[in-house]
Amino acid sequence: MAGEAVFRQDFPVKGGDFAKAGAVACRIKDLLKELGLDSPIIRRAAIASYEAEMNVIMYAREGRVRLAVSPGEVRITVDDKGPGIPDVGLAMTEGYSTATPEMRELGFGAGMGLPNIGRNADAFRIDSRVGRGTHLEITIHTNGRHP
Amino acid sequence: MKETKHYHAIHITKDKCIGCVHCMTVCPAKAIRVKDGKARIIDERCVDCGECLRICPYDAVHSHTTSFAALDAFAYKVAIPSTVIYGQFGNATLPNEILSALRRVGFDEVYDPSAICELNTAAIEEYLNEHPQPRPFITSTCPVVVRLIQRRYPALCRQILPIEPPREIAAKILRAILPKALNLPPEKIGIIHLTPCPAKMVSINSPATLEKSYLDGAISIRDIYPQVIGTLKKSQEDAVMRHLFPETLFSGIGMGWSLSGGETRGLKNHRAVAVSGVTDTMRVLDQVEAGLLQDIDLLECTVCPDGCVGGPLQVENRFLAKSRILQLVDAAGDRAVVDHKDVSRLYHKNFLSFDHPVAPVETPPLDPDASRAILKATRREKLFAKLPRKDCGACGAPDCRTLADDIVRGLARLADCPFAKKEMR
Repeated sequence: MAGEAVFRQDFPVKGGDFAKAGAVACRIKDLLKELGLDSPIIRRAAIASYEAEMNVIMYAREGRVRLAVSPGEVRITVDDKGPGIPDVGLAMTEGYSTATPEMRELGFGAGMGLPNIGRNADAFRIDSRVGRGTHLEITIHTNGRHP
Repeated sequence: MKETKHYHAIHITKDKCIGCVHCMTVCPAKAIRVKDGKARIIDERCVDCGECLRICPYDAVHSHTTSFAALDAFAYKVAIPSTVIYGQFGNATLPNEILSALRRVGFDEVYDPSAICELNTAAIEEYLNEHPQPRPFITSTCPVVVRLIQRRYPALCRQILPIEPPREIAAKILRAILPKALNLPPEKIGIIHLTPCPAKMVSINSPATLEKSYLDGAISIRDIYPQVIGTLKKSQEDAVMRHLFPETLFSGIGMGWSLSGGETRGLKNHRAVAVSGVTDTMRVLDQVEAGLLQDIDLLECTVCPDGCVGGPLQVENRFLAKSRILQLVDAAGDRAVVDHKDVSRLYHKNFLSFDHPVAPVETPPLDPDASRAILKATRREKLFAKLPRKDCGACGAPDCRTLADDIVRGLARLADCPFAKKEMR
């Protein structure tokens, strides 16, 4: 992204704050619309950031979503302080979930979150340290593929 | 009635406007600015929801609905009222009396809408059965919801269920039948909707899904109310006859259509959710756009509180109107008056479908050039950080964030904010 115009904005997310679920993804969606991105790209970014935001709300104490938009790509980086993911490969399996029954009652925790991010991203990286937290890096090319 | 790119039914009367900020503050589309002491509507943003009309303390916001006198152009005048009309005249007035009073007021024929509402529900059921994807579908009855989706949620255009709402279906059927039945040329027959909603004029004058609306206009319930109530008072003896020999059999399934949840109440095999009020509608559409609510088959959204019964152009207190309509729904029970074979036939002839799908309406980005748009967004954030975040409206924009947006779009200056300190400017 060096030398290019980049728009950056950070959004804090509080763990357990289900009442605000989706607020960050919604802000990101509105921003991308104002930046003039195509609607399929916006939709993918909105879905990916929603899932990432929900993971922080459901599992972590707190986290931060960072948005960086350049003419060529949308990058969404998420860092949280939380339990971490012991087996990232397993967590990427559709249907695998560690959600509590309470979360499931609310309609969350179907085990589709991380796979859904992967499906909507052009590049997706996870680093997780058990007991410390998780770092996600989601990249969507503005002229990218349509999943 | 001409079609223009941004036809709107809502207008501000400059002479009455004192430049207070009530309308600007409630506008969900952030489409109002107060400049030089007068409120102004930004056409590209307005969705005709009527929130400004509802709140204006000075009666300075008015809606362009059809005047009764304009009907003189037609040799034969037909009214299709919204079911909201049944809740306007107290608990003792039966629907048949209201229809009869409308005839006396000057309509040659008045058709009860409840049967067509039932037909519509049956057609929606059939459509959902045949189309397992996408989910949820969104109903198209509320013209404001359609316009909101076109502008704010363009990706959801394909989720609008492509069956015309009852008012258009009713008019289409009558337009097909009446010229022959009456032996009159089609242009001599005026088909008019009676409505509590300013946005119906928009859907008639610039339809989102039809080449041309089947309706010739819409009269507001507020405008026709005085004549109807006068007629009802004069014909009280007549009412006994209407009670004992009702000429129209009302549909129990269609009767409650104007209440939130009424459109979906008659669905048998599908999970439906009803949302009303403009803020809640936008909140739920945000969720749908984020890919949620896919376990729901049909989403009924109406931007007026409690559904059309909360429309700004009705007269009765909306809670009383709602209570009266619920009474009528109870009385009619699950009575069906429409033969499903007829519905199926019309449905498969595509008689009930949109002419064309709902098309997104582009809202201009900060800048057509991607790099410049990014720079403007960055500048906007810096400007916003300088503003007091009191959202007082003194600058003429509804809130500080919108002022920052207006500034980077070249529509306002930082100096418009009375709080931004001189050295910051």
